Amino acid sequence: MSPVSRRFVLTGAALTTASLLVPITVRAGRAAESYEITDWIGIAPSEDVTLALSQPEVGQGSYTALPQILADELDADWARVKIRFVTGKAAYKIAFRQEPPAQKEGASMSTTALYERLRTAGAAARDVVTRAAAQSWNIDMAQCRTENGFVINARGERLSYGQLAAAAKLPLSAAPPLKQRSQFHLIGKPVARNGSAIFGTDVVVPGMLNAAIKSARSFTGQVTAINNEADILKMSGVRAVVKLAALAIANEDAGSQHPRLPHLPRYNAVSVVADQFWQAKRALDALDVVFDAGGAGDLSTAKIDAMLEAGLNAERGVTALIRGQPREILQHRPSEVIERRFVLPHIAHAPLEPVNATASYKDGAVEIWGPVQSVTACQEAVAHAAGCSPDDVKVNVTFLGGSFGRKIVPDYVLQAVQASKAVGRPVKLIRSREEDMQHDVYRPNAGGRFRAVLDDRGYPLAVHARVAGQSLFGAVRKSWLDQTPEGAWDESMVDGIYNQSYRLPHFLVETVDTPLPIPVYFMRSVGSTAAVFFWESFISELAQRANLDQYAYRRNLLADDPLALRVLDAVAQASGWTAPAPPNTFRGIAYNCYIGRGGRFKTYVAEVVELARVGGRLAIKRVFCAVDPGLVVNPNTLKAQIEGGIGFALTNTLKSRITFSNGGAEQSNFFDYPLLRIDEMPQIVPIVLASDRPPQGFGEVVLAPVAPALAQALLSATGRRLDVMPFPDDAFRANA
Amino acid sequence: MSVKFSVNGMPAEFDGPDDVPLLWVVREYLNLTGSKFGCGIGVCGACTMHIDGVAMRTCVMPVMMADGRQVTTIEGLSHNGDHPVQKAWTELDVPQCGYCQSGMIMAAASLLSRHPDPSDADIDREMTNLCRCATYVRIRAAIYRAAKMR
Repeated sequence: MSPVSRRFVLTGAALTTASLLVPITVRAGRAAESYEITDWIGIAPSEDVTLALSQPEVGQGSYTALPQILADELDADWARVKIRFVTGKAAYKIAFRQEPPAQKEGASMSTTALYERLRTAGAAARDVVTRAAAQSWNIDMAQCRTENGFVINARGERLSYGQLAAAAKLPLSAAPPLKQRSQFHLIGKPVARNGSAIFGTDVVVPGMLNAAIKSARSFTGQVTAINNEADILKMSGVRAVVKLAALAIANEDAGSQHPRLPHLPRYNAVSVVADQFWQAKRALDALDVVFDAGGAGDLSTAKIDAMLEAGLNAERGVTALIRGQPREILQHRPSEVIERRFVLPHIAHAPLEPVNATASYKDGAVEIWGPVQSVTACQEAVAHAAGCSPDDVKVNVTFLGGSFGRKIVPDYVLQAVQASKAVGRPVKLIRSREEDMQHDVYRPNAGGRFRAVLDDRGYPLAVHARVAGQSLFGAVRKSWLDQTPEGAWDESMVDGIYNQSYRLPHFLVETVDTPLPIPVYFMRSVGSTAAVFFWESFISELAQRANLDQYAYRRNLLADDPLALRVLDAVAQASGWTAPAPPNTFRGIAYNCYIGRGGRFKTYVAEVVELARVGGRLAIKRVFCAVDPGLVVNPNTLKAQIEGGIGFALTNTLKSRITFSNGGAEQSNFFDYPLLRIDEMPQIVPIVLASDRPPQGFGEVVLAPVAPALAQALLSATGRRLDVMPFPDDAFRANA
Repeated sequence: MSVKFSVNGMPAEFDGPDDVPLLWVVREYLNLTGSKFGCGIGVCGACTMHIDGVAMRTCVMPVMMADGRQVTTIEGLSHNGDHPVQKAWTELDVPQCGYCQSGMIMAAASLLSRHPDPSDADIDREMTNLCRCATYVRIRAAIYRAAKMR
């Protein structure tokens, strides 16, 4: 059967921007195995419905929630649905701020960006099978309805989607009618999917070898000598010793991943390739390799902290926002100025699955298997490194064993490609935990200096907020910087400060970039993990100085934003905030509106952290979290993100710190970079508010208020101000 | 030296250096990849298997220590994924990314074999595996649910 292939462009109210154009192909499958209807749905005569999943599953629940949207509009039988990860079509790409559309998971964008597109695709397929059924019954479409994989007519006769699969040959409607919310049968339900997952480390490819690597600890280091290569090559199973070059990451602004460092040819790592991974690891451990530290060998935490301090003290920063006359008011009333400073360090993503990839380089074409958070970035980087076209790079995405932004940067994929090219066989390269941690692309450090004068009611009259630190956009996304006559500023550094709806008549927000040769990247919640800690802690300070209740103080300042008040009120009510705290119980409250990149969504969050005094210690007993996330596609995965997001934020707040010496990171494994454990995990009380808005972003939104709410609770319990992350353990020592 | 042991009831033999970690023998020679590599120093617990019924971290366990012993991996915990811990994990939809979860399930099964009616303190003491997604709320709930099923 020759394929019937046509292309349509869906237009209409559902699709409002050019970047959301959905090319839809209609193609009959070979030998009627499966019929493809739109780029998203395959229906087989056997009744199997295959739904395409374009967003990598990193633990956020895309694997469930996105097919759920398709299946709902299609009226498919969820029990018969199969999910297939797909690449290679424009329909699978979404736009992130000002950059070409990419097939990538990130920025809490998956559900919010694909919601209308998937509904339209599901509705188009439902429309076409309904039309086919109506034709075979010789009745009007309006006399047909769909339910659970069947088209049903007024007489109660039924045709299954499998029987109607050949309807794929009918033309698609350009504007299929979408369901009303009241007609949803899956969206809004806590459906789940079961099964075992294949991760990158589990990939097996015929003829594959295995590689272990060792890198220069310094970010500018390189291999200067390998002293015993001949001996190593005699070891059991060993095939090759391959030097690996530190390559620029092509998905960023050219050469910007290590902006102040030379790139090629700097061989900063050595891999041993062997039949089995344990053989490669064993040989690597015996390899006598010498590195030098390179130009940034004097990088140290003391130096970084001094730069941060200088940035906070600088005469001027770059103005991100100014309203009224904040400088004048602060200058003229020096004795009334309240000032607080905050500092937090670089931190590592540390997904439990270390970065790894399997690559096969053959005759200028490359195939990749592994945990890849951005298919597009991986294709472009590999093409750049291998000297081929991105179309010659096939990426097979496995499940990701955690990522949090890490696995967008395909440096580890490029290492596997180099090793494969050198040995002429497919190679699976797994970084050790030490390599993963010491060669992460870290969340940048940040410091805050906040100054304010209060009015006679105790509310802020003038506020000067300054955030200094290594600029993320300055390092990896120069095109995302906001340009001003004073210089450029990085929105991510003040995310949650400059764009909130607090009433502040005189307000100045500044950033100061302190450039460093440390590789940095986006990490879950990005700059808000710093900025909101600073901001909400400063609001807590002002409320305390004014001797006003923390909830009431925020309520007053957010009075112009009804959606903000809704989450604040909900969390206050659920936590019993307005009643006196029970004995030995201490609470803190914080708020943030998480705004998606380029203003794509707004998710409102308010949290209350509750401490209990047990003996001489304060324990984090409960965290109440009220959210307004728009329409909830899957309440089960949403609650999982609330629980996990708060736990993740507690690790950041209490444990995570990467320090530097001799040009590289000092921490190397979970003994010196610990994660939260089950005994430290509080109870979580989610409060999910119903909303008429479409789905907003969610994977990152609950993190930021955790630290300031916890700091406020600790202040209330002990009187101690916490201005440095991670919080020290003795902050939890209870006063008698 | 040759090491002989059983894995999920089947005889296994490894003829290689006796200090190779059991994890890699099981993953690379027996092709049982449910047990994961996470840290390589026995801290995270993603590699947890049962040795004679007790949870052990196998990324730091030389294969020679398995000589003559019974090794159980997640693949052999039950015939159809119907061990109470697996059922509870499914019912509460515990995993997020899932990478640590086979180790968590093996640790929980071992805990329940010794403490059929565990307390919060038992769970806090025994469940020291790491989950970067912080699925701990559901892990605790699933352990209690599994305890009720037994």
